[in-house]
Amino acid sequence: MPIISPFESSIAKSGQGKVVLSLLPPANPSLSTLTYKYPLKLITRSPGFIPQSALTSASQPVHLYLLTYGGGLLPGDQVDVSITLEPRTRLVVTTPQGSTKIFKTTVGPGRTLSDKSRQNVDVHIGREAALCYLPDPSAPFKDSRYEQIQTFTVESTAKDTTRSSLCVLDWVTQGRTSRGENWDFQSWKGKNEIWMIDESSVRSDNAEKKKKKKKLLLRDSLILDDENNNQDQTASKSLVRERTSPHGVIGTLILYGPVFENLSSFIVDRFTSLPRIGARNWSSSVPAAAETTPEYDSKVTFTAARVRAGCVLVKFGAEDFETAKDWLGGILREEGSIAKEFGEEALFCL
Amino acid sequence: MTVNPQVQDLEKEVSDLESRLQNARSRLALTSAPPQPAELAPPLPRDPLFSPYNHALFLLSDSALPLGSFAYSSGLESYIAHNKPLPRSITPVASFRRFLNLSLVSMSRLSLPYVLAGYRDPSEIETLDNDFDASTPCPVAQRASIAQGRALLGVWERAFRSTYASGSSPYLAGDAATQEAIKAVEAFSDALKSSLDDELGPKGHFAPLWGVVCLAMGMDARQTAYVFMLNHAKAVLSAAVRASVMGPYQAQSVLASKDLQDMISKGIEREWNTAVENAGQVVPPLDLWVGRHELLYSRIFNS
Repeated sequence: MPIISPFESSIAKSGQGKVVLSLLPPANPSLSTLTYKYPLKLITRSPGFIPQSALTSASQPVHLYLLTYGGGLLPGDQVDVSITLEPRTRLVVTTPQGSTKIFKTTVGPGRTLSDKSRQNVDVHIGREAALCYLPDPSAPFKDSRYEQIQTFTVESTAKDTTRSSLCVLDWVTQGRTSRGENWDFQSWKGKNEIWMIDESSVRSDNAEKKKKKKKLLLRDSLILDDENNNQDQTASKSLVRERTSPHGVIGTLILYGPVFENLSSFIVDRFTSLPRIGARNWSSSVPAAAETTPEYDSKVTFTAARVRAGCVLVKFGAEDFETAKDWLGGILREEGSIAKEFGEEALFCL
Repeated sequence: MTVNPQVQDLEKEVSDLESRLQNARSRLALTSAPPQPAELAPPLPRDPLFSPYNHALFLLSDSALPLGSFAYSSGLESYIAHNKPLPRSITPVASFRRFLNLSLVSMSRLSLPYVLAGYRDPSEIETLDNDFDASTPCPVAQRASIAQGRALLGVWERAFRSTYASGSSPYLAGDAATQEAIKAVEAFSDALKSSLDDELGPKGHFAPLWGVVCLAMGMDARQTAYVFMLNHAKAVLSAAVRASVMGPYQAQSVLASKDLQDMISKGIEREWNTAVENAGQVVPPLDLWVGRHELLYSRIFNS
């Protein structure tokens, strides 16, 4: 580990934040770094919850609250959060302010279209460490522009139960329905990537190996934009709505690693055991198939599948935020492993 | 009688002149006559660039190219099932047109950057293949893309390679970029065969391979992108015909339409400079429809 200079300035640019979570012997989680600058605010808390986990590596989770002044991002605001989870630590990230509001970008003198709001989250998750990141959805207001890049790096050499674990939720709503907003923003881009990095090969001088030390495991990229760069205001507005129809909220849940293994299987089973679409009911006495399905599964359109290296990708679309929230919260509570591993508070936003 | 021989001579001379005149007239008629279509067509163009490039284009745009694309509806079948019954105000054809538009725009923003990246840098095919695999959200779409990509590799190896990689066509094989593409296809094919059970190894996704194979066959970049999109439109339309959404003539008329041409061209222009890192899904429900294809009670397509 490099020696940290005591003279290093804590934080250079506005909106930047840095968190390093370490485990002091024997098993005390401690934040060795916690810095942030306006408009970002980071608050941490150690609730002292002891995980009831089958995994021996389980340590007490630390909570990190991601806050911004005003509860949202203005045009030109950029938030960069870098989080490092050292081996065997556990971190819960939530947004206690409710949905992340993305305020309107006004195009006019002195303002260009590049004035969008940005959020970058970069998380390194060490061996046997676990991240549970279940935030509120992003709520882009009318005419807003937003871009979010969330990168999660795990170690590729770790196998089975020593792998890193992560649970990430990323969802976006149509805006403020109370004000009649219905996908009326100009642009919303969200990208979630999981990279596998081979720490051991960094020492290798072999160029071939160096090139291969970083590998993309998963990329989930959603682009909702008008494409026409404002040439045609009326036509462009309906474009995002047309492409997201019939949903009012769109989301992705990514699960990876041993801590979320049970939850992954639970959701995949739930998906594969959904009633077949277009199935006929041949018996006259039994009620129709649609009536016997769990209540929320019929309101939320979702898919769940194991994609690569045991990574489970859940995608869902629902009519509104409340429906999606109740559905997802219902599944996570029914299965119960998040509450057991991280405490009920991890489900705060659901 | 002294006059008679004179008259005879004159008469002889007249008949002689008459026959010469007729002869001259007929020769004149022959030379100034309108050209006969068979022998006097416009000269055959001798453009050496014409035939080989277009030949590859015709091969790759042929619906008889054995890629098995007919087995995939790219979510159409699931879309129809999810939108059943249609409201009275919407006809099945109108609903299909919506799907086709969504499918084309989604294809152009998700896959086209990979086609172009494969074309521009064939040596990166393994990384592109891995990243495309990482960006494909569900096993249904993954299976469809891998099956067609591997079929394309198969066609290359069994059919095209003997012509395009052997050097028997010097105007094609002379190009350095083409040579590099041929090498990349061969190397990738070997890597694929040697790591079939590696979960994170090469998969053989269709989009990046299409770019590399088209380069190996001497196509230009824009044609490569255009044919890729047109073939996708053909596959979806063919699925629509077999799913009884529309008849074959109507499908051809959609395929021929200016709308479709414009949509493809616009998509290519938009994605021309898009880096693969910035490719993304623009139609999120499409992922849901494709992913939920597995849930259909009865299926006639593989996706």
